[in-house]
Amino acid sequence: MTDRLDRLCERLTRGFARRTSRRAFFTRLGTLLVGVAGVPVLPVARAAADDDARVPVPDDAALHGDVGDPSSCNYWRHCAIDGFLCSCCGGSQNTCPPGTEMSPVTWIGTCRNPADGKDYVISYNDCCGQTLCMRCRCTRTEAERPVYVTMKNNDLLWCFGTKSRAVNCSVAVVLGVATRS
Amino acid sequence: MLLAVVPALATGGAELDYAVTCQGCHLGDGSGTDTVPRLAGSVARFLRVPGGREYVARVPGVAQAPLDDAATAGVLNWMLKRFDAEHLPADFVPYSATEIGTLRRAPLIDVQTVRRRLLDALEHDAPTR
Repeated sequence: MTDRLDRLCERLTRGFARRTSRRAFFTRLGTLLVGVAGVPVLPVARAAADDDARVPVPDDAALHGDVGDPSSCNYWRHCAIDGFLCSCCGGSQNTCPPGTEMSPVTWIGTCRNPADGKDYVISYNDCCGQTLCMRCRCTRTEAERPVYVTMKNNDLLWCFGTKSRAVNCSVAVVLGVATRS
Repeated sequence: MLLAVVPALATGGAELDYAVTCQGCHLGDGSGTDTVPRLAGSVARFLRVPGGREYVARVPGVAQAPLDDAATAGVLNWMLKRFDAEHLPADFVPYSATEIGTLRRAPLIDVQTVRRRLLDALEHDAPTR
């Protein structure tokens, strides 16, 4: 009995080893772990928890050129970004690079998506804990105000509520549709 | 697709004004941070002590909000109900644009001292929790 169980396990293990590569497994495991860890820290995930109304995030595939490229300053979500794009720094337009922490306190503005003509509320969270990324530096100032209106000025570092005040890059997370009733 | 859907903020002025004007620091659920006061389960307590109603409308975030008096009154009334209905006095009269206009023109020079005095008063005179 034990012998048969051994043989069965061996056959399954060998079969699994033949069909898969270790790298592929670790890639998938890594993606899963990072992805799952990212979900609760995203402000949109927390905001979504108590809100029944949902709208789809606009599909960037419908956009052509720079306005659809998250690593471009002209990307539609970047209309009020000031800093280094996390998309160029090991993160994405929604996620921080490894080794940095997303600041919960953020600069919030709205940007019009050229694909559907709607205004979206965008949260520009700084990713904190590493020195300046220095790649894809963007300075766009839609609805920005002078520095004495601190809440609407994006020249400031927005690493508040994080372990480190060192800013690395900025993300541009869609929080919702900005529609006036 | 990690972020396939987002919450709709389409329901009207106050919710959108909160998102664009206040949420960056007070956060979407009103929980605040170590440096930003918590609204959730907390902010309406100030309405239960003398001077509290005026204080809430005179704190820098409200008085200096880049919104006109009517919109500021709207978002303040909205956030009191949204984040702390539990402590909202039964006889609460919503802020009016005129009231906001008067209060925000009287700057609160030393916010921390006034805040501490009101919190002390809450603790001693009106233990609600």
